[in-house]
Amino acid sequence: MENQPYNQAIVRSFVNWSIVWGLVAVLVGVIVSLQMVEPDLNFPPYFTFGRLRPVHTNAGIYGWGVGMIFATFLYMVQRLCKVPLWSDKLAKFQLWFFNATIIASAVTLLLGYTTSKEYHEMEWPIDVMVVILWVVFSINIIMTILKRKDEQMYISLWYMLAAIIAVAILYIVNAAAVPVSLFKSYSAYAGTNDANVQWWFGHNAVAMVLTAPFLAMFYYFLPKSTGVPIYSHRMSIIAFWSLIFMYLWTGAHHLLWTPVPDWIQTLAMGFSIMLIAPSWGSVFNGYLSMNGQWHQMRENYLVKFLILGITFYGLQTLQGPMQAIRSFSAFIHYTDWVPAHIHMGTMGWVSMIAFASIYYLVPRIYGRELYSIPLANLHFWLILVGQLIWSISLWIAGVLQAGMWNAMNPDGSLTYTFMETMVEMYPYWWARSFGGMIYMTGLIVFIYNLWMTAKKGGSIAAQTTVETTTVEGRA
Amino acid sequence: MWERKPVLLIVLATVAILIGTIITMVLPFAWVNTEADRIESVTPYTALQQEGRDIYIREGCNNCHTQTVRPLVPEVLRYGDYSKSGEFVYDRPFLWGSKRTGPDLARLGGKYPDAWHYKHMESPRSMVPKTNMPAYGWITKNQLDPQMIQRKMDVLGFPYTTDEIKALGDKNEMDAMVAYLQKLGSDIPWRAAATTEIVGELINPFTGVDHDTMEPWEDLYKENCAACHGDHMEGVIGPKLVGADYYDEILFQIIYTGIADGGMPSFSNLGTDKVWKLVNFIRYYGQGEGH
Amino acid sequence: MDLASIVYLGVTFGMFVIFALIVIRTYSRKRKDEGEIAKYQMLDDD
Repeated sequence: MENQPYNQAIVRSFVNWSIVWGLVAVLVGVIVSLQMVEPDLNFPPYFTFGRLRPVHTNAGIYGWGVGMIFATFLYMVQRLCKVPLWSDKLAKFQLWFFNATIIASAVTLLLGYTTSKEYHEMEWPIDVMVVILWVVFSINIIMTILKRKDEQMYISLWYMLAAIIAVAILYIVNAAAVPVSLFKSYSAYAGTNDANVQWWFGHNAVAMVLTAPFLAMFYYFLPKSTGVPIYSHRMSIIAFWSLIFMYLWTGAHHLLWTPVPDWIQTLAMGFSIMLIAPSWGSVFNGYLSMNGQWHQMRENYLVKFLILGITFYGLQTLQGPMQAIRSFSAFIHYTDWVPAHIHMGTMGWVSMIAFASIYYLVPRIYGRELYSIPLANLHFWLILVGQLIWSISLWIAGVLQAGMWNAMNPDGSLTYTFMETMVEMYPYWWARSFGGMIYMTGLIVFIYNLWMTAKKGGSIAAQTTVETTTVEGRA
Repeated sequence: MWERKPVLLIVLATVAILIGTIITMVLPFAWVNTEADRIESVTPYTALQQEGRDIYIREGCNNCHTQTVRPLVPEVLRYGDYSKSGEFVYDRPFLWGSKRTGPDLARLGGKYPDAWHYKHMESPRSMVPKTNMPAYGWITKNQLDPQMIQRKMDVLGFPYTTDEIKALGDKNEMDAMVAYLQKLGSDIPWRAAATTEIVGELINPFTGVDHDTMEPWEDLYKENCAACHGDHMEGVIGPKLVGADYYDEILFQIIYTGIADGGMPSFSNLGTDKVWKLVNFIRYYGQGEGH
Repeated sequence: MDLASIVYLGVTFGMFVIFALIVIRTYSRKRKDEGEIAKYQMLDDD
């Protein structure tokens, strides 16, 4: 690989570290799920549900999700622009600063230093670290793009640029706070305003961290894996502008029926429904790219991950708008339905795409063929089944609990006390833990496979063979 | 055009992102938390309450408890009056939450006496047998830091007296937490306004039922009353019920509507049928027929 | 109609026009080939 102008080593390091944080996220997820059924598993002060749950979410979003964004963006930007990275040194700094930020986040969250804002719990010193990290990353990506030859930018680059800018704006605005001490600050906004800012951030973190970058990956790794181009570049462009324009209006669908002004809620509801169009624009683009190529679902394990991933994206972007409708939200919000929805997105869509990206990258960054394709298939089935058990059990639980919360006697009184509804959740919470463990087993199989690849995977004779083989993952 | 020019694309994408942002996130600052939004009776947190709030945040209570009651019938029946924007003007950050693993707490203040909270935080399952709430007795060991709290109050701009700060030296984190929980949602006089008015004559539908019929009603008592009044009505946090001689209708009224600010919660959400069963159970066993 | 309604309708209409212009431009016949170049180019390298 020495004769390669592209920086592959940094991609490999980011992939490796993302997997480490991904494993942490899943492991902590399983632990907190068990704490919900067995409260004696709370070990105060550091290991209670209230402190561990943000470790789970932030390790997942920032460790695994953003780590994979760093890995794939640094890879894609070089290939799509056909130029090496603008600065290898900056990328190296980014890698270690990224790990330092994740570790600092985990430690401070366990110590109880938290702002309480969901997916933005880290206190202000860590916010400063995150901003430095993102600026360093942005400069490297943007400068690399500026170095490229003057030709059309592929859609993945569009999503990358939009995500980079949007995340910067979202994170900084929501981070605004007045520090009291090194690890305590008060939000710059109060009450209803704070809620509105937070969910403007919260929902668009989903858009700009867990959607746009993963669409960039999907649009890149699907054609690379199948060897055929996407169905329509122009359709992807229409979807791009619609998606990045409409997402920013929808944050308040997390705040339906709260004191946030009604018109904001109504706009959020309307735009959430409209978002189905650009979301499914990408889904259709993916499906139609497979025209005449569906046999690859059987032959190419990479395609299986990618197509199932985009399918879960499609389901996610139908279920999401449904939940954003006032009447449905009134019924389902605050129940276990909501985590089921989120986990279909993270375990199904985001992680499936991330796994496919890693499998595609393996020969290029490890310089070896994957150790075992059967193990990759086992990995696929374990995470698929694990995720389905997880989500389906909590969808049922959510409907059940919502129904019981709303049940009324003929005399107008409530049928069930809160505790009567909560005890009904226990069997479903056990099922969820079980699903999570299956998913974790899948992840361990994946890690074992990569470990064995690094140790003794079949070596690639010459780099050039990889470069001419576009259907790399074909089994 | 922008297909070839990344800088132009960045600018256009930023504009696209900012339109929705400005309309739904920036503009509302013109209306929310303004004078029109304010409620006169809503006051800032005291030093003790604010510290309790910060402990609530530190322990991540918001991961399982929401603090906003929606204007929906079952919700108002279960928790109390729906939340108003003006009630949150001193909340930095907001703590509305997104998941009710435990119940909503927006109207918790004044529902139970302090003693209930101390006991419940110390040992949740001794009060609510099947709850998955973690025990927080350990925070009792942590003394408060008056200097730090004073600094917080200064940053927030909330009023306080030096005596108030000095008094914090004798308090621990549990005192702060309970003080905060008792403040929740009690700034507007909703409880008095929401008290159920019983109209018409109350007639005990179970007059004269025998011992065997009443036996299973003990579960109702255990679930709803025993935590405060004791397994054998001997009285713990609440008064003892043995020998308490109330008329059926009076007892019904107390259980059904509660005693606002008297520490007795309303149990109207059990429905009239179950409340009547409790009335008969308490009357029967409370009069020395014990078991 | 008060000012607020006019602004509301104006902004909404303006956004629709911009969207329509993007669609028309992207799908214009003379840009057909140009619009799809990138998806083939990205397969070149690797």
